[in-house]
Amino acid sequence: MRSNNINRRDFLKIVGWGATGTALAACDLPSTVTLEEGKETVVSYLSPEEYNVPGVGVWYASACTQCAAACGIQGRVFEGRALKLEGNPDSPLNHGKLCQMGQAGIQVHYNPDRLTRPLLRKDGKLTEISWDEAYKILEQKAGPASNLSGDRFAWVTGTVSGHQAVLIAAHLESLGSTNHYTHEIISPTVGQAVNRDMLGDAMPRLALDKARLILSFGADFLGTWISPLHFSTEYAKFRAAPRGVLVQVEPKMTLTGANADLWVAVRPGTEGVLALGLAHLLLAQGGNAANIPEATQALITSHDLAKVSAITGIAGERIERIAALLKQHSPSLVLAGAPVEGHAHGYQAVAAVQLLNVILGNIGQTIMPSGELPFPQMAAVTGNTRNLLTFAEAAQNKAIDVAFFYGANPVYTAPAYLKLGEQLQNIPFKVAFSLFPDETTLAADLVLPISSSIEDWGSHVAAYQAEQAVITVQQPLMERLYGGTVGFGNLMLTLLKTRNPEAYGAWDDYYAFLKNAFLTLPGEFKGEAPNDEEFWNQTLQVGQLKIATLAKTLQANIVEIALPDAPAPDTNYPLHLVPSAQLGLWDGRHANLPWIQEAPDQISKVVWDSWAELHPSTAAKLGVEQGDMLKISSAQGSLQVRAYIFKGVHPDVVAIPMGQGHEEYGRYAKGVGVNPLKLLSPIVDGKTGELALYATRVQVAPGTATKGELVREGRDNSSQLGRKLAGTIPAEQFRSTEGA
Amino acid sequence: MSYLSRHWLLVSSALIIFTLLTWGIWATAAEDVKGKPVVPPEGTYDGKDVEQPIEFPHDVHTKVNKINCLYCHTYARRSKVAGIPPTGKCMGCHLHIATDKPRIQQLTKYWEKRQPIPWKKVHDLPDFVHFTHEKHLKRFIFDKPEIAQNLSVDTVAPVCAYCHGDLRNMTVARKVKPLTMGWCVSCHQANEGPSDCWKCHK
Repeated sequence: MRSNNINRRDFLKIVGWGATGTALAACDLPSTVTLEEGKETVVSYLSPEEYNVPGVGVWYASACTQCAAACGIQGRVFEGRALKLEGNPDSPLNHGKLCQMGQAGIQVHYNPDRLTRPLLRKDGKLTEISWDEAYKILEQKAGPASNLSGDRFAWVTGTVSGHQAVLIAAHLESLGSTNHYTHEIISPTVGQAVNRDMLGDAMPRLALDKARLILSFGADFLGTWISPLHFSTEYAKFRAAPRGVLVQVEPKMTLTGANADLWVAVRPGTEGVLALGLAHLLLAQGGNAANIPEATQALITSHDLAKVSAITGIAGERIERIAALLKQHSPSLVLAGAPVEGHAHGYQAVAAVQLLNVILGNIGQTIMPSGELPFPQMAAVTGNTRNLLTFAEAAQNKAIDVAFFYGANPVYTAPAYLKLGEQLQNIPFKVAFSLFPDETTLAADLVLPISSSIEDWGSHVAAYQAEQAVITVQQPLMERLYGGTVGFGNLMLTLLKTRNPEAYGAWDDYYAFLKNAFLTLPGEFKGEAPNDEEFWNQTLQVGQLKIATLAKTLQANIVEIALPDAPAPDTNYPLHLVPSAQLGLWDGRHANLPWIQEAPDQISKVVWDSWAELHPSTAAKLGVEQGDMLKISSAQGSLQVRAYIFKGVHPDVVAIPMGQGHEEYGRYAKGVGVNPLKLLSPIVDGKTGELALYATRVQVAPGTATKGELVREGRDNSSQLGRKLAGTIPAEQFRSTEGA
Repeated sequence: MSYLSRHWLLVSSALIIFTLLTWGIWATAAEDVKGKPVVPPEGTYDGKDVEQPIEFPHDVHTKVNKINCLYCHTYARRSKVAGIPPTGKCMGCHLHIATDKPRIQQLTKYWEKRQPIPWKKVHDLPDFVHFTHEKHLKRFIFDKPEIAQNLSVDTVAPVCAYCHGDLRNMTVARKVKPLTMGWCVSCHQANEGPSDCWKCHK
């Protein structure tokens, strides 16, 4: 690497000359732009709408649907086309900010791989059909006359909320079914179970801004945890004077870890032991042990510093330092994220972490009760992987005749051992409500192309709400791009009308249903609006409805904790697989968005690829060098990926990001990188049954050498991949050809 | 740090300093330019004749019938683009006027088929140039009481002519001004327009 030490004096000199140089050079440079007269067509309107001024953009409020956080957005509409998305400044969740996934939402809408016609499997092949045919087949297979019994029908969706959730629930009810499998790979389900048992509130509000220290066990709250954009804005307040201290303990450095004041690598699966060790130190120094049951106290006592240090692989003085920091900075906030949850003893480990909050007196200080939503039917039905396992089992047992898929891609996210692709063959009729030809959609028998969220109506209620709870309203920013797509709400109403015409026959479309739902709210939710029409317009204008929630209280009930000392070693598969989540590709749903593929990973800076993170000491032991092709195998299978060697992982860990390795899903996603989820072993959290994402063991061997290299942003301009997006030449060459 | 990022550091620092220097000059100058006489940009360009779907005669509309440029190019005062008049606006008159002329019959055909007319663009700027009609009209028309209080084709057209040539004496539009950066800059200097890079390159 080139040395690049510029001192302040040199810097000012260069900048001074640079300013003059730029000013002079700009006028003299030969122009390479040729303007053409009469080549481009300028099309005018026939009869323009009065509010539409060409060249002037108008911002409309709507909702982001790129992850389950349900942030408020504003879309800039230019001559009838949505061009740019930004955060809604009025939203108490994201305060006008929008993350890269949200920004890339526009590429979902304009994606060239959108489905535009219904498809039906004929002789094993998906073939285009008309909507009339599609409705007829739906009627035959799942309509009232089909004799489909409710227990043999299932909805498989991602997290849903708002009126979409209401309509799905109504559809299930009309069939007499309770089979709604909501699936998300990135999900705080185990943590929610602990919160429910210990605090009496599955999703308490976390007052990051009130904390003076945050100790996070792998909770990537700035990147991928629950409501990253909301937490980022709270984090900014936390970091303002007096500056809060962030300590991150995790097996692989996340975006949050990269921002920490103290980052500690922990042996995977021993986070709970570290929490007990910290509890031990805190209690020994006079912490409050009043509410702690005797068995738990005994467990804490047994976790002395020497033992904890040996198990976790963290030096004793470092653990003591964390304990000292916790004592110095009160109130604090201790969080447990996916690496703690993702083991066979995940629940116990999260409980051990939550115990620290009780000991430190953080409950009621930085962990506040969430409000009770007055409309429980609109609350988010959050997904997890336990539901995926249950669904796979039902499919295997041939217990399902008809399954509807929406907003989830289980064929991609399911571990290879589940053989979900094969199990789906046991479901005779599968319908995908989908935007893209992803793995699950292409396994369906009937594909219904739906409108993008930029073309459709909806309402969303985030599972995690800020102090001011809101319903976020999604309104179309522009006309549908393809006449062959139908809005999800409209489709649901069509289905419901055939089953329950009395209740749903009155609505022409989902817009009418949604508007009525808002207008029939009790008066106290409508604020100052003088009449219904005004209230509706105001709601659309700000893109959300503020909701007064009912008060809840938190309890501090310490559950029984039983933790293994350390995960048993595995001689065949000595390393731990960390399928890391990343703000960008997320669970793989954004792999078809070029902006996301092009945006470098926040830690490794890799673009358009997968990589395996290895600690330098592990790499040296294995004889692996930067960029080498590796073969990584678990008991369930293997994959090949290049090594990225750096110190931000524990030496026992191989970390591969989720999101790549699509076998389908359009031109940008297909065939790029690898999918670490396929390697996962059949291990679940003992208490909740949630798939243990971080419990898989792997071995590393040299891969088959192929040409190419790991492409990282910035380095020698190689991220342009030869595309000359922005041409550069060395300064020397510029001087010799263009200079005086 | 790589070559690329150092390059960016230099360029952006240079731009920031350059902006700060020039901004100050412009901010103080902007106050008193209103009253000063306008120095129209010099220079000509011999553009080619552009074949349009309908040979629109600018002279008939502006010189003979005295229709204000801003009546048809109605967005010029409100937006960065002047706008091609919507077909509906043409038909507002031509439902009744000159309906026997072949060009009007051509126009009526488009209208009846509900098809917009595929006009060809004559005055083009590169994508990295931000030009706004609105600001120029404000500076040269609406900030000038003698024009603003007497808006007519004969007061407005000479201003449009700075960049487009005098359309009162042209039929189909043709590019007759260079529209190059040097040409723009010379006018900005003569009339104390902004010289900040980011005003136009943003």
